[in-house]
Amino acid sequence: MLEINNVSKIYGEGHSQVVALQGVSLKVTQGDFIAIMGPSGSGKSTLLNIIGCLDNLSEGQVVFDGQRIDILNENELVSVRRGRIAYIFQQFHLIPSLNALENVLLPIMFSGIKKNGAGQQAAMDMLRRVGLENRATHKPSELSGGEQQRIAIARALVSNPMLILADEPTGNLDQKTGKQILGLLEELNNDGHTIVMVTHDLEIAKHASQIIVLEDGSIVNRMSSQAEKEQTEE
Amino acid sequence: MKLYRIVLNDVMRRKKRVLYAAFGVVVATMTVIGILTISNAGQSKLLDQLEKYGPNLTVSPAINSIDMQMGDLSLGQLSYGENYIPEDILPEIQQIADSEIRASGIAAGFGPDEKISTLAPKIYINTNINDVKVTVVGIDPMEERKVKTWWVIAEGEYLASSNQVMLGKVAADTLGLKIGDQVSLNGTNVTVAGILAESGSNDDLQVFATLATTQTAFAKEGFISTADIRALCNGCPVETIADAINSNIAGVRAVAVQAVAAAEMGMMNKVNTFMMTLAGITLLVGAFGVINTMMASVNERIRDIGIMRAVGASRNQILKVFIYEAIIIGVIGGIFGYLLGTLLAYIVGPIIFDGIQIAYILTYLPVSLGLATLLAIVATSYPAFRAAKVKVADSFRSM
Ligand SMILES: Nc1ncnc2c1ncn2[C@@H]1O[C@H](COP(=O)(O)OP(=O)(O)OP(=O)(O)O)[C@@H](O)[C@H]1O
Ligand SMILES: [Mg+2]
Repeated sequence: MLEINNVSKIYGEGHSQVVALQGVSLKVTQGDFIAIMGPSGSGKSTLLNIIGCLDNLSEGQVVFDGQRIDILNENELVSVRRGRIAYIFQQFHLIPSLNALENVLLPIMFSGIKKNGAGQQAAMDMLRRVGLENRATHKPSELSGGEQQRIAIARALVSNPMLILADEPTGNLDQKTGKQILGLLEELNNDGHTIVMVTHDLEIAKHASQIIVLEDGSIVNRMSSQAEKEQTEE
Repeated sequence: MKLYRIVLNDVMRRKKRVLYAAFGVVVATMTVIGILTISNAGQSKLLDQLEKYGPNLTVSPAINSIDMQMGDLSLGQLSYGENYIPEDILPEIQQIADSEIRASGIAAGFGPDEKISTLAPKIYINTNINDVKVTVVGIDPMEERKVKTWWVIAEGEYLASSNQVMLGKVAADTLGLKIGDQVSLNGTNVTVAGILAESGSNDDLQVFATLATTQTAFAKEGFISTADIRALCNGCPVETIADAINSNIAGVRAVAVQAVAAAEMGMMNKVNTFMMTLAGITLLVGAFGVINTMMASVNERIRDIGIMRAVGASRNQILKVFIYEAIIIGVIGGIFGYLLGTLLAYIVGPIIFDGIQIAYILTYLPVSLGLATLLAIVATSYPAFRAAKVKVADSFRSM
C-alpha cells in the first residue's frame, strides 16, 4: 500500500544544514501496525511528515496506493488527505474555537462527501466510537488531554482513511490515558485500519506488528513485534 | 452543517479578537463617512446661502452712483433716484433671460412659452414721511417675494394691495408706526399692513409699497429703478444672460450676482477636493492598519490553517473561511463605521464650518458597508493566501 524508497531529507542550507533522514526505505502493507522508535532528533517526525506529505523530501520517492505522492502539487495532495491519509498528533491539534463535534466535522465538510444530516450523523457516530458523544459541544479547552486525543482520533476516523499516521499520540498523556488511547488504536488496527505510529515507549511499541528503529536519520533496526518480545525477554 | 455556520460559531467564540480586527475597519470607514457627511453638509449650506442671495442678476440704469447692499453681499454701485429704466423693456429682458437658459439646455421641465426666470422690478424714491427721510420702494409683491426668499413678516401681513405699505423694522421704529396706522406717500394715503423682521440689510430701512402706487404717488408712471432677475436654477448661465442683456438693450447695465457666488462655490469645490483627498489618504492609511491587524489575526491562526489543510481543506476553502470572516468583520466595521462617522460629523462639522447643519445620510450606510467589507476582504485574503502556501509541517512548527 505504501512504499518509500531511499528517502532523504535535508533541512536548511550550507553550514546550518541538518540531515534529518538518509536513505530510508520502508514498506507498509494493508493492515499493518508499524511503530517507529528512536532517540529524540533521530528523524521520526520528519519521516512521518514525509509519508503524509506534510513536508517535502530532498531525495527518494513515496508511493502510496499505486501513486507517487512526493511529486504531487498542493491541489493534488488535497485529494490524498481527503479520506486516504489521516493524522493524529502529539499536540492533538484541535481547533480551539470549535467544539468537539465541529472539529470532527471538519474533514467531512472540506471533502463535501456527506450532505448535512449524514455528515452530522457520521461525526456523532465517531464521537460515540471514542466514547465522547456526551462531550460533543465542549471546546478542546474544556476537555482533558486524553479526551482531546480521542476527539482527534474521531476526526481522523470520520473520513474512513486507508492509512492513519500518528506522531507520539500518547506523548502528552499520562500512562493510564496513554494505554486507553493505545487500546483504541489497536482496536482500529483490528478493524483493518493501517497505522504507522511514532513512539518513545517500548511498551507501547510492543503492541505494533513491526518496529522500525531510527538513529541519526537512518533505520538501524527492524523487527516484528514477536522478535522484539523475544529480544527483551532474553 | 455548512462551512459558514462553522465560521460563524468560530467568530462568536472569538468575539474579542474579531472585534479587535474590526476596530481598524471601523476607524477607517468612520473617518471616511465623517468627512463625506461634513463635506455634504457644507455643500448644502452653501447652496442654501446661494438661495438666500436671491437674485442671480440685477438690471439697473447704465449710470451708477450709490453703493447698494444685499445681505452680506455687495452688488456694486447702483444708482437710483435720478436714473430710471422704462418699464416696457421688462418683457424683452425676460425673453432674453429665458432664451439663454433654454439655450444652455438646463431648462428641462419648462414648456416652450413658459416663463423660466422671475423678474422683480422696483422703483426707489427718496422722500419724507412724518419729516423723516426714508426710501420708498415700489415693488411687485408676488415677484419680490420670490427673490427675497429670506423675508420674514414680523407683524401684520405681507404687502398685498395698492392701498397698503409694508415697513422695514428700523423704518417702522424710526417713524413710530404700527400695524393699521395711516401714512401719506406724497399725498396718497396708505395703511401699514405689515412689518418685516430685521434682516441686517437695507430692507430694514425701507418702506415698501406696490409698484403702481409708488409710480402714481410720485408721478413716475412707466419707470422703474432696477429689476432683479432670479433664474430659478443653480448653475444658470448668469454671465451669458448679463452679456446678452448688456449688448441688446441700451441704457441698462446687467450685473451677474453669481460672480460672487461662483467664487464662493469655487472655494467650496476646493475645500471639497481637499476633504476628498483627506478621505482617500485616511482610507489608504486605514487600509494598511487593517492589513496589519488582519495579518496578525491570520498569523495567529497559522496552526489552525495547518490543521484545516491536514484534514483536507483546499487552499480555496481556507480562503473561503477567511473571506466569510472578513465579511462578518466588514459588516460589523461598516455599521459601526457609519454610526461613529456620522457622530463624528455631528461633533466636528460645526467646528469646521460655522453654523453648519449636519444631517445623517442614510445612503452612506451601504457605502460604508461596501467599503468596510472590501477593505476586510482585501486585507485578509493576502495573508490567508500566503499562510495557505506554507508546508503544513511548517505551520505546526511556527507555534
Ligand atoms: N524545520 C526544521 N529545520 C531545520 N531542522 C529541522 C527542522 N525540523 C527538524 N529538524 C531537525 O531534523 C532532525 C530530526 O527531527 P525530528 O523532528 O524528525 O526528530 P524526532 O525523531 O521526531 O525527535 P523527537 O523525538 O524529539 O520528536 C533534528 O535534528 C531536528 O533538529
Ligand atoms: Mg518528533
